Amino acid sequence: MFANYIKIAWKVLLRNPFYTFITLFGISLTLTVIMVLTSFIDHMIGSNYPEVNRSRSLYISFLARRDSVNTGMMRGPMTFQFLSDHVKTLKSAEKVSIFSFFSSSNAYAGSKKINLQIKYTDSEFWEIMKFDFLEGKPYSDAEIRGSQHVAVITHTLKQQYFQDKDEAAIGKTIEIEGIGYRVIGVVKGSPVTRIYTAADVYFPYTAPKSGYDQKGLNGRFVAVAMSADKQSLKAMNDEFQARISQIPPDVDGRKFTSLEVPSQTFTDIFLSTVSQMGPNGKTIFYAAVAFILLMILGLPAVNLVNVNVSRIFDRASEIAVRKAFGAPVNTLLWQFLVENIFITLIGSGIALLLTFGIISWVNASDWIAHLDLTVNLNVFLISMLVTLFFGLLSGVLPAYRMSRLKVTDALKA
Amino acid sequence: MLRHFFKLIWNKKKANSLLMVEIWASFLVLFGVGSLIIYTIRNYIEPIGFEYENVWALTADQMNDTTEIVGKGQQAIARIRSYPEVLSVSNMSSNFPYSNSMMNNAYEYNKRKVQASTLITDENFGETLDIEMLEGKWFTAADSVGKYKPVVINHKMKEELFENESAVGKVISDKYKVTGVTGYFKEKGEFDKNKPILFEQVSGKFWNSVILMKVKPGTDAHFEAKLVKDVTSMLKDWTLEVDYLTDSRQNQHRITLVPVVIFLVVSLFLLVNVAFGLFGVLNLNIAKRKNEIGLRRALGATERNIALHFIAEMWVIATFSIVVGLLFAVQFPLLDVFGLPSGVYFLAILASIGIIYGIVTLCAWYPSAQASRINPATALHEE
Amino acid sequence: MIRLQQVEKVYRTSTIETLALNNINIQIEKGEFVSVMGPSGCGKSTLLNLMGLLDEPSAGDITIDGTSVRNYSDKALARLRNQKLGFIFQSFHLINDLSVLDNVEIPLLYRSGSNAERRRLAKDALEKVGLSNRMNHFPTQLSGGQKQRVAIARAIVGRPEIILADEPTGNLDSVMGNEILDILQKLNQDGTTIVMVTHDESMAKRTHRLIRLFDGTQVL
Repeated sequence: MFANYIKIAWKVLLRNPFYTFITLFGISLTLTVIMVLTSFIDHMIGSNYPEVNRSRSLYISFLARRDSVNTGMMRGPMTFQFLSDHVKTLKSAEKVSIFSFFSSSNAYAGSKKINLQIKYTDSEFWEIMKFDFLEGKPYSDAEIRGSQHVAVITHTLKQQYFQDKDEAAIGKTIEIEGIGYRVIGVVKGSPVTRIYTAADVYFPYTAPKSGYDQKGLNGRFVAVAMSADKQSLKAMNDEFQARISQIPPDVDGRKFTSLEVPSQTFTDIFLSTVSQMGPNGKTIFYAAVAFILLMILGLPAVNLVNVNVSRIFDRASEIAVRKAFGAPVNTLLWQFLVENIFITLIGSGIALLLTFGIISWVNASDWIAHLDLTVNLNVFLISMLVTLFFGLLSGVLPAYRMSRLKVTDALKA
Repeated sequence: MLRHFFKLIWNKKKANSLLMVEIWASFLVLFGVGSLIIYTIRNYIEPIGFEYENVWALTADQMNDTTEIVGKGQQAIARIRSYPEVLSVSNMSSNFPYSNSMMNNAYEYNKRKVQASTLITDENFGETLDIEMLEGKWFTAADSVGKYKPVVINHKMKEELFENESAVGKVISDKYKVTGVTGYFKEKGEFDKNKPILFEQVSGKFWNSVILMKVKPGTDAHFEAKLVKDVTSMLKDWTLEVDYLTDSRQNQHRITLVPVVIFLVVSLFLLVNVAFGLFGVLNLNIAKRKNEIGLRRALGATERNIALHFIAEMWVIATFSIVVGLLFAVQFPLLDVFGLPSGVYFLAILASIGIIYGIVTLCAWYPSAQASRINPATALHEE
Repeated sequence: MIRLQQVEKVYRTSTIETLALNNINIQIEKGEFVSVMGPSGCGKSTLLNLMGLLDEPSAGDITIDGTSVRNYSDKALARLRNQKLGFIFQSFHLINDLSVLDNVEIPLLYRSGSNAERRRLAKDALEKVGLSNRMNHFPTQLSGGQKQRVAIARAIVGRPEIILADEPTGNLDSVMGNEILDILQKLNQDGTTIVMVTHDESMAKRTHRLIRLFDGTQVL
């Protein structure tokens, strides 16, 4: 029975290739846009490689001080000293890592110039951020204490810097700004969009030029504190903020009256870039996003509904004729239903293929290094159901209502 | 006749409402993308005003070093200048052309206030980047002795601050004296808007971290590696980074063009989707109105009249949608939320109107031609 | 006025050929009121379509006012329909989305003239059929008889010399049907030539002359 419906639905679709095409085009376009978009959002704020512990981590990325009249403001990353005094010692944290934001430099391999991002980290960094080590291992506390010139590099840099791409890089020396570093580990790179982990070279924080011995409050380092689980985040946040409130804003003799060091989840950080635009900017941003989404999703929906509604008259006459002959209309309604589900499924299938195509193309392009977009199947299923809902609303519901009419009225319609 | 179409569409507004919503939304999408593209193109066609080929930017950051920073930096500059491969060297603040860093300040002359990008540069900047001077000359070391700091401004800033007056010799914000006016200078390159720029002379008090150098064509990374090695040995514990302006330029282009291309592609698909939809709906509508077509033919309409009838109906529908869309679109120049010049919005509106009429005409063409070929005798007897 | 000479009409589909009219010779004189009768499918409507220049004969010649229309362009035919002919249909064919007045105006849209002029002529025509109080109504608000009167107003608004009526009373009861025929008779007395297809003998009796068709052939 069901197979028969599908067979008929298939035939109906082939009989109206143009409308089938329009509908499929609309459905697959909309779903593709939704999925690619959510894939980007997931990429930006989800717990992805190597920041798999994002959901139970607090990011402490800046210290801001203001004076009483709000004219002077100082804001930026902190010194290693400050962070090891106030974050490293948190009791409620399972692990704390202190590391620098990346800084740029160059390396030269013969006549080739390589642009580099450098990051100075402690050893806990490698425990919180789960990098895949393709070769070797991270530096240990002993190596850090010994101020050894060692480095962890990404696979991409290894390929660029060393002549023999297949040979192990471990033990080889990479020269950056006149200093040779021994490679002790090779990792799969992190996308540049994950600014807390992305770099090409990772040095122990005791390496030259890291600036870890700087004094005072503002420096070049940030920290991530990881709690045992998501539920303990609040306690960790409270403990940290309680400590911060103990620090006098004018601790270093500067005339500041307020001091804040936010400890935020990654999502909060992501959203606060928006809120920095000011209340007006925020409104505009959300309005613009809402409008764009409405257009991207609304237009194809209106289109689908429009085409469906126009086709109802075809269906009305079909219903009327059937009724006039006394044939059961339910079969016909079932057929419309199956047809609608069927076309939504095909459209979704196309969308899935398209999304995979686009995502792997974007991943492969050099637009963003180490990009690792993935398809979120939950989003896919939800958007498919929404599409189906619109299809049924505009294609089957009117047909159902029409089937309840009297024959003569149906003929008139 | 026109009145007839308006009446017909007005009386059928309920049946046509979905079409109108669709065209209205398409208009707004077009308007948005159009504004973005027109703004981008308008910026692009204005010259950047400097030469970026074979220019390198060496960023030398002193890090924890605190002793004799300026002196060490100057020695490094002198060393760089001595290489035969280097044609010209200039020291400047970190916001070199095409870089991601920016510095803004407010300046005032005669109660007129202007927000301008400030670049702190030395006297060789104009030469290193081949900047054209319209008025006066670039400041020299000799200019730094007076009470006022010597500055050079670009033409845009001169226009906004001095309008038609000559700028050379004038004092800005009681602090700066203009020694020259450049032609175009768009600091972030092709897609940057032509905005006011002020070049302030470097003072000997602070180290400005960028050394901009123009090298001979064909100079490669071998020389660069040697240069970095030499400079590193002079500036121990400093960090050094070399950027080619051509690379930074590519990066800036990517930042500008990627969103434009994404918006363009998505809205193109949306419009194709809408166009197919319109086409389908029109086809169905015309099939439903065969009787009316027959009737009109009987009452004296020619084939051409019928074809034009359906195209005209679509035009009227499009007109209603556009009028509503315009109410939304004009808010942008009126409220000025994104700070684009209103000319951009105006052009975008015109272009969107043109494209909308184009699309509906295209979509109505085939169904209308089909309609005009319907045999009136059979159409009249079809129930 | 209208002359059909050895007119033949064949409908062809890919598989079958149907002879709808065979060797028809009819002459309609100015001022006549002619009815065409015959059983269903005898070719009455085809005949009216040919006279109304809505269709072309497969063979033979149609002459209007002494000129053959055989080689007329679409534009010239449309002009003739617009100026010389008026149509009335069994199912009225009013446009439901236009008011009565706008419906009546339609023929005038396809010729030159000002808006005000069109308005005036349409009002005059509605007055003649006794519906000037309904001109801002929509067709769906009218009874069948009123609808047909609107259709008549539309047929006469362009002052045509000939009115072609295709079963104008077919969808109406006898009271309304007689009313419609009264109007047609009045128009005829005022000088308009009328050709009416009907299968109501009583209606046919009220006309000057009767043409009978059977299986595409003229039998009377």
